[in-house]
Amino acid sequence: MRFAIETVNLHIYYGSNHVIKGVNLQIPEKGVFALMGPSGCGKSTMLRTFNRLIELNEEARIEGEVKLFGKNIYSSDVDPIEVRKQVGMVFQYPNPFPHLTIYDNVAIGLKLNRLVSSKEEMDKRVEWALKKAALWDEVKDRLKDYPSSLSGGQRQRLVIARALAMKPKILLMDEPTANIDPVGTSKIEELLFELRKDYTIVLVTHSPAQAARISNYVGFLYSGELIEVGPTRKVFENPEHELTEQYVTGVLG
Amino acid sequence: MSSFEVRKQKERLFLMGIGSLTFLALLPLFHIIATVFRNGLPVIIKEGLNFLTGTFSNGGIGPAIIGTFTLTFLASLLGLPIAFLVGLYAYEFPRSTVGRWTKMLLQIMIEFPTILVGVFVMQVLVVPMGTYSAFAGALALAIILMPYVAIYTHEAMREIPFTYREAGYSLGLTRIKVLLKILAPMTKRGIFTGVLIGVAKVAGETAPLLFTAGGLYESYPSSVTKPIGSISLLIYQLVQSPSPADHEMAWGASLILLIVFLGIFIPIRLSLKEVKL
Amino acid sequence: MRMDGFKAIAIVAVLVVFAVFAGMLVIYFTNAVPAFHRFGIDVYLKNIWNAAEEPSREAYGIAAAIWGSFYTSLIAVLIVLPLSISYSIFVVDYAPKRLKNVIIILSDVMGGLPTIIYGIWGAFVLVPLLRDYVMQFLYDHLSFIPVFSYPPITGYSYLSAGILLAIMVTPFASAIIREAYEMIPYTYREAAYALGATKYEATKLLIGYIKPAILSGFILAFGRAIGETVAVSLVIGNTFNLTWKLFAPGYTISSLIANQFGNAFIYEYMTPVLYAAGVALFIIGLGINIIGLRFIRRWEENVKL
Repeated sequence: MRFAIETVNLHIYYGSNHVIKGVNLQIPEKGVFALMGPSGCGKSTMLRTFNRLIELNEEARIEGEVKLFGKNIYSSDVDPIEVRKQVGMVFQYPNPFPHLTIYDNVAIGLKLNRLVSSKEEMDKRVEWALKKAALWDEVKDRLKDYPSSLSGGQRQRLVIARALAMKPKILLMDEPTANIDPVGTSKIEELLFELRKDYTIVLVTHSPAQAARISNYVGFLYSGELIEVGPTRKVFENPEHELTEQYVTGVLG
Repeated sequence: MSSFEVRKQKERLFLMGIGSLTFLALLPLFHIIATVFRNGLPVIIKEGLNFLTGTFSNGGIGPAIIGTFTLTFLASLLGLPIAFLVGLYAYEFPRSTVGRWTKMLLQIMIEFPTILVGVFVMQVLVVPMGTYSAFAGALALAIILMPYVAIYTHEAMREIPFTYREAGYSLGLTRIKVLLKILAPMTKRGIFTGVLIGVAKVAGETAPLLFTAGGLYESYPSSVTKPIGSISLLIYQLVQSPSPADHEMAWGASLILLIVFLGIFIPIRLSLKEVKL
Repeated sequence: MRMDGFKAIAIVAVLVVFAVFAGMLVIYFTNAVPAFHRFGIDVYLKNIWNAAEEPSREAYGIAAAIWGSFYTSLIAVLIVLPLSISYSIFVVDYAPKRLKNVIIILSDVMGGLPTIIYGIWGAFVLVPLLRDYVMQFLYDHLSFIPVFSYPPITGYSYLSAGILLAIMVTPFASAIIREAYEMIPYTYREAAYALGATKYEATKLLIGYIKPAILSGFILAFGRAIGETVAVSLVIGNTFNLTWKLFAPGYTISSLIANQFGNAFIYEYMTPVLYAAGVALFIIGLGINIIGLRFIRRWEENVKL
């Protein structure tokens, strides 16, 4: 079977700090894969290896392999920029660029990578991405406004649209609802439920409840080690590992 | 060449461009230091110790050096207590109207053309007294020194965690005791830095002294109510002179001023992460 | 709020500072009054400088000096612009840590260097250099372009003053822009790279984000340049000359005050006119700095978004 993402004996160090300790993980194509664990367990760090964003941190050192659709993205002939074009990312803090309009925020990735050739195509793609992110109806009359006029939840959906516009196969989400109010959160969760039909989504969350609500598969990460992986229902109803059980029942952080 | 290669190529060009512009921005510093040493050192070597102690007609700038130190010292004496209190006030009452105006005023004063301060002091001090004086020069410098020290004090105090204030007041101390006995000593390093930066700044000032200090290079200063010289003021006057001998003296004096400045500034700068210029 | 020991003492200090500032305003305006009475607004709008023992023959208009202040500061800021932005990007994005610290320290040293040292270097080194290698060349080959059409005889000129000012205020603008660039929340940097941007493209995007800070850096740099006195007065040539011509000698408000105040008492109206010049500098400086500080505050709020 071919996996969307596969890590082989992945180690990450920050200086002398060993953060990810030999993780072997397989993420199947399509669906939501929730990577859960208490804060500080290394899940955000791990997520950033899937698009080589980890390399922005000069302290970070990576060992092992990360394969996207079978290809090791850390082999020397791969350019990180090419990787990032195929992998969208949504962040913990909703970060549409404040100095760009709503329209330009969606278009920016396409512009940078010259993925569309005409204004019409761009308009179409922006509309498509905003629709896909369930934001079109709310912003279609004010595409020239700046994101500061949007609520936190809307901003986060704008970031999702920004990522989707590049038509990635994989979407990385780093606790996308951590800074969003409950109404906004449920909207984003509904959206993920829609998107998981077409995309491989890796969702980092510290909330077992959220993982249970929207994921097909979960992985439980605890102080840099992958404790348990499996279909969501199975892991939650019948965990193999004691730590996992403590975590999903809320005994553990 | 693929569009991707083009992007990479652009990247390299860009790095080269900003790298050389950065270099260009710093280049004058090296040139200035080198020129001042090249032109100033022979003058000082020729005159020897006399350059530092002699009067001007004897080939020295002794009175100017003493003048610079005297003016800086007097300016600190006048400016520091007020600066310190004003900085504390802005810290202690950040939301009151006066507090906000004070902060705004400090920021305006730090950016203010220094020549205007000099002319102001001339009008209120030199004209009534009928003579240039060390006191007038020092007052002008004190007005320039004040906002630097006040802003540094304010910033340094703001970095103290709120909990220490609470701790102070919970001991039943009055505001003045909390501020002066607990909080200010906690951040004395930050405040001291502000003092040194301000002092380094005014030690090299020229414009505010033009119409206040008067200049005195043939004898050592004796009274705060009499004219006084300074290294920077002397350089300014010598550069405008047509005589090449004066120009030589100006280079020598510049080297002394440069060494004084670097001697104060470099140690502070190395002990710090940021400075406000 | 209740008065206590601290407040009672500190408020005195605060009042002293306010009094000094207010005193400056009063002194400048009152001493300028005779000039306004005699010449009206022409004192700012006309370019004329007739000093005469006989007061009725005196006539002054400092338009050339006001022009010179703006023109030299503008030249300076245009040079500062690419230098300080490049510096900020290089320091934050590219320079290895150790080099970065060295560069920042050097820049700070430049910013703190006594202005008279820039002055002597400007007068004895920079001016001849510019005259022989830059101005002469441009004059020989491009003098059909009006700005290059003034023969560079002495080299003391608007261009020399502008370039010297640029060297002096670059560290200052650089510090403001670098701080703003470093303050950009990390998440925006990540977002740019996650979209597949190259380093250059990410930089371009993020520079757009700090535009308000860049603008305030330039406004404040402009303010510094316009207030600078001794270094400028040593290289600008001190001549009333209302022209665009870059190689022509000129005046600025502050160099005019520095140059003429010493002998102004001989004439009846020259002192008031110089106070009027001070008023102009006062107002320009105040306005520029308030606008610059506004921008930077707005930017700081923007970052917290």
